[in-house]
Amino acid sequence: MAARGFLNLAQATEAALIIAAQARDQAAFGELVKRRQGWARALLRRMCNSHAEADDLAQEAFIKAWDRLRDLETPAAFPGWFRRIAVTTFLMAKRKQKAIFEEIDDASPIAAEESTPEAAAGAKIDLEKALAKLSDAERLCVTLNHGEGLSHSEIVDITGLPLGTVKSHVLRGTEKLRRLLEPAT
Amino acid sequence: MNDFDALLKRSFAEAHEPADDGFSVNVGRGVARSEAALKVRNATYAVGMAAAGATILYGAYGLVGIFGQEILATAGLEVARAHSAISSAPTFSVQGMMQALGAGLSQGLLVLGALAGGAVVYRQVQE
Repeated sequence: MAARGFLNLAQATEAALIIAAQARDQAAFGELVKRRQGWARALLRRMCNSHAEADDLAQEAFIKAWDRLRDLETPAAFPGWFRRIAVTTFLMAKRKQKAIFEEIDDASPIAAEESTPEAAAGAKIDLEKALAKLSDAERLCVTLNHGEGLSHSEIVDITGLPLGTVKSHVLRGTEKLRRLLEPAT
Repeated sequence: MNDFDALLKRSFAEAHEPADDGFSVNVGRGVARSEAALKVRNATYAVGMAAAGATILYGAYGLVGIFGQEILATAGLEVARAHSAISSAPTFSVQGMMQALGAGLSQGLLVLGALAGGAVVYRQVQE
């Protein structure tokens, strides 16, 4: 609470909020949640099929972040550090549901995906609907690769999946999205 | 990067980011619960440590009750011997002096040996 007296929450930088939150200032952490919830919830909504589940996982991830905030070495590392917590929370939840990320889903051939009428008509693509058609593992890897800009090796590091599996999920997921989203030629 | 990859990245970047106060309030409640649970854990730990300390003290008190009298009696006897040795008239004999010197030397050697052994063990542990 020591840092709180000098902090105007609305105008404070994210770094200042993080430092105050590390000193167990709940109000500063609340402001940080307000600022970061959009990104965190959008990330988890892309990974999950259900908005409600994604929001529950985002809440769980923020509470875990609060508990472990002292482990964060520099405020600048917060986005990557929090992303790791969010992905781990997602993976733990999915593994409880017996989801398997290591296997390549050969049962759903890429060519089977069809372009949507909206895409065929050249309409603005509905990324969320298209992502919903991918497997959990493909959605995770595609979101981290294209959405968060992580390299394959960074995805390996954050998810613990083998490199070949990550590459395959990204490739297959991207190809499925291409078939779903690109206007038919 | 081809056109589709660029389109995909743009779509991800432009995707809707949900934001509402209800979410922050729920996280705030979760954080408050987590803090309360932490306080309970800390209090439980403190109580546990206090109970463990009290148990050790009680055990030590019991041991003193059993062996204390014996220890005090032995100490008293030694004090009485020392007192009598100091207060009695000095008697000098070569034989007595040699015996005392021998006993003192052997005790001194024992102490020196123990110190040297301890030093060696300490050095080995440090290394």
